[in-house]
Amino acid sequence: MVILEATKIHKSYGNKLNKQSVLSGLDISIEEGEFVGIMGSSGSGKTTLLNVLSSIDQISNGSITIEGTEISNMKEKQLAEFRKNHLGFIFQEYNLLDTLTVKENILLPLSITNTPKKIANEKFENVARELGILELKNKYPNEISGGQKQRTSAARAFIHDPSIIFADEPTGALDSKSASDLLNKLSELNQRRKATIVMVTHDPVAASYCSRVIFIKDGTIYTQLNKGEQSRQVFFNDIIKTQGVLGGVQNEH
Amino acid sequence: MSINVLMLRNLRKNIRNYYLYVFALVFSVALYFAFVTLQYDPSMDAVEGSIKGGAAIKAASVLLVAIVSIFLLYANTIFIKRRGKEIGLFQLIGMTKGKIFRILSAENFILYFGSLVLGIAVGFSVSKLILMILFKIMGIDAIASLRFSTPALVQTLIVFFVIYLLIMLMNYGFIKRQSILSLFRVTSTTEGNVKKLSFFEMIIGIAGIGLILLGYSISSRLFSGDLTSMTELSISMITILASVIIGTYLFYKGSVSFIFHLIRKKKNGYLNIKEVLSLSSIMFRMKSNAVLLTIITTVSALALGLLSLSYISFYSAEKSAKLYVPSDFILTDIQDAKQFKEALTTENLLFTEKITEVIQVDVNIENILAENSKTLGMMSNNMTLPVISENSLEGIDLSPDEAYFTKTSSAMENLISMKDQGGIEFKGQHEVIPQFYKRIDMEAPVLYNFTGGGLPLAIVDDTTFERLKKDLDPALQRKSSLNIGIDMKERASVEQANELFQNMKFAKGHITDSQLETMNNQKQTMGLIMFIVAFLGLTFLITSGCILYFKQMDESENEKPNYTILRKLGFTQGDLLRGIQAKQLFNFGIPLVIGLLHSYFAVKSGWFFFGTELMTPMILVMLLYTALYSIFAVLSVFYYKKVIKESL
Repeated sequence: MVILEATKIHKSYGNKLNKQSVLSGLDISIEEGEFVGIMGSSGSGKTTLLNVLSSIDQISNGSITIEGTEISNMKEKQLAEFRKNHLGFIFQEYNLLDTLTVKENILLPLSITNTPKKIANEKFENVARELGILELKNKYPNEISGGQKQRTSAARAFIHDPSIIFADEPTGALDSKSASDLLNKLSELNQRRKATIVMVTHDPVAASYCSRVIFIKDGTIYTQLNKGEQSRQVFFNDIIKTQGVLGGVQNEH
Repeated sequence: MSINVLMLRNLRKNIRNYYLYVFALVFSVALYFAFVTLQYDPSMDAVEGSIKGGAAIKAASVLLVAIVSIFLLYANTIFIKRRGKEIGLFQLIGMTKGKIFRILSAENFILYFGSLVLGIAVGFSVSKLILMILFKIMGIDAIASLRFSTPALVQTLIVFFVIYLLIMLMNYGFIKRQSILSLFRVTSTTEGNVKKLSFFEMIIGIAGIGLILLGYSISSRLFSGDLTSMTELSISMITILASVIIGTYLFYKGSVSFIFHLIRKKKNGYLNIKEVLSLSSIMFRMKSNAVLLTIITTVSALALGLLSLSYISFYSAEKSAKLYVPSDFILTDIQDAKQFKEALTTENLLFTEKITEVIQVDVNIENILAENSKTLGMMSNNMTLPVISENSLEGIDLSPDEAYFTKTSSAMENLISMKDQGGIEFKGQHEVIPQFYKRIDMEAPVLYNFTGGGLPLAIVDDTTFERLKKDLDPALQRKSSLNIGIDMKERASVEQANELFQNMKFAKGHITDSQLETMNNQKQTMGLIMFIVAFLGLTFLITSGCILYFKQMDESENEKPNYTILRKLGFTQGDLLRGIQAKQLFNFGIPLVIGLLHSYFAVKSGWFFFGTELMTPMILVMLLYTALYSIFAVLSVFYYKKVIKESL
């Protein structure tokens, strides 16, 4: 089943006279349970794409539907409503609230939807155990490591069983050990919970954990790779090759 | 872009941010200028009552400068920190520190002296209004005239120029000290780190609440007669002050986070948006502002207390005057009285006259002192009390061994408590007359000079009175033993009579008094004090409100990333705003409630020295204060609203 469908999305900044186009007529479609990576060089528009897909930013043209709901012309209030029920977020900078404990941070999405306390506690125990952060529940973010913070952030994204989880460079600030830990956990959750994950990254290792990787260049899709049945190592090599073709400035002469 | 353009751009941006700062500055300058104008105004001579109006206003203006300069310097530290990044950027592109300082100084100069000129203009135009308010409060019939006073202008300019120099000195020090790197980091290090509640903090939290309660409980017993000597009284006053102030500090340092911690613990990690924004952030931030909040709370409690007391005194002026001078006019010399009566008769003013003889007698009151007053060091068992005969009063008939005591003043009542009845002894020079005493609900009908300002007056049977009179101790007697009360038959003629009374040439040293004059005097004295305290209090309120607002401005910007996260998670702007409202309720409400409580207990412990009415004046003052203070909370919510809107 297609869970996210974006057709001909355009996004440009600036006024009529000085227009800077970031996304130009991009089509994307994501199936339920997929773990999709979005790659591209700096300035290729991947973060903008993630922002518009996740309803944080408005598109200039085109349409985006998530689970059959058109989100490109929703009002601010409806969008907030939509985000709290259907979307989860993981960010590069963790984005945890410093003044809340790990548990309080993770439970935030449930408190918006007024989930009963007992159910909330059960859900918390489950997701925290899966991510291995149950013992940290009463600690504050500045008392735990970066990897633990990112797992807390991931737990917050998963706890309310959203339709799609958007991850923006989740391993960007982590060392390689914590990064692979986190990615393993993410793909575990992806398989066990059938959670759909869309991840922006410029790290080929991170991308090799995905089931499909989309390459973006200058606001359009350049190509995409499917992992299929091949091993992660082979998929990684494919990604590296594609990136090699994709990267660099074309010689105009 | 030239330096000048850069400067003007900055300025334009700043004015939008700092409108409240400009407002507070304009207000302070205006008030200062108005006060100094009053001080130099010749019409202030009319305000000379028992205290010199000009001198009082001068003292007030000094205090005003102190408040305003502390405010301006403090506000400046907040602002300069906010601009740390900008200063770092200038340095990065190669500007020298000297040049940056010059830009900042010029910017400040325009902002500051612009406000100064505006303030003086406003001050000049409202000085007449202020003078009119003063005259109105004090009940003076004089026309307030508008005069521009050059010395006032010069003084204002000098004072505020000195403050400007101080601000510049501070900025210079700040710029000099910083390196490029530390400037970029400056805002992130201002607030305390988020840590777990330690055992030590719990102790602090409990101690804070305990100390405040201790202070309150001592204050309520201060004048109840439990305290036995003057030394004990002063020791307990110092204890109250110390325990309340230290308690307030510890309260902000520990108690708030302790209480909030308990609430959070009960929630077991499941917080709703209001709790996320209010509990968790206040818990950590109030601690780092403990000193500031303690000062604000203490000074506002002081201002509120003084204002309440002076208003109580002002409000009870009429009642107090009736207590002190029970007839319209009271004289103590037959000749004076004759003169005055003649004057009244020539003006065809009708009056009644009543002569009461008041003698002073030593009375042994050992048996009727309530237990807890007996040990009071300053009271001996013998008291010299005024005595009158039953014949001086209508409707009272006593047997020879009976004596009545009139009511004492409320202050005296709190100091010595007497039983309702019992045996006493009148001690003449030679004989001792035992009497049975009873308290009656009546005010002493003679001038306060006879009752020593609040002692009970004894009423005895005529035969007893004659006996006492023959056996008088001359050393105890007042210069005159006559209380000649003159009451006007028509209330309307009191004022005219009072004018006559004031123009009479009574012999020097003869005690005379007029009820109307006493009331007006008290109203004038207390009116002036109230006027000054009110304006100083208002200045303090506005400046401290501004400081809290600036702090909130800072905080909202520090918390902006949090709002971004929360909005991404799906909280609407409305959700966040409701959370912020809850937060500001605590942020402004806690200091307010603590300040109000402090002043309530302070006023309650000693209000009876000032007047006869407690509740109405105190509540009026407190309501007014709360209303004005809330404005800043509301303004800060609007600022937050803007920040939240921009956060996504």
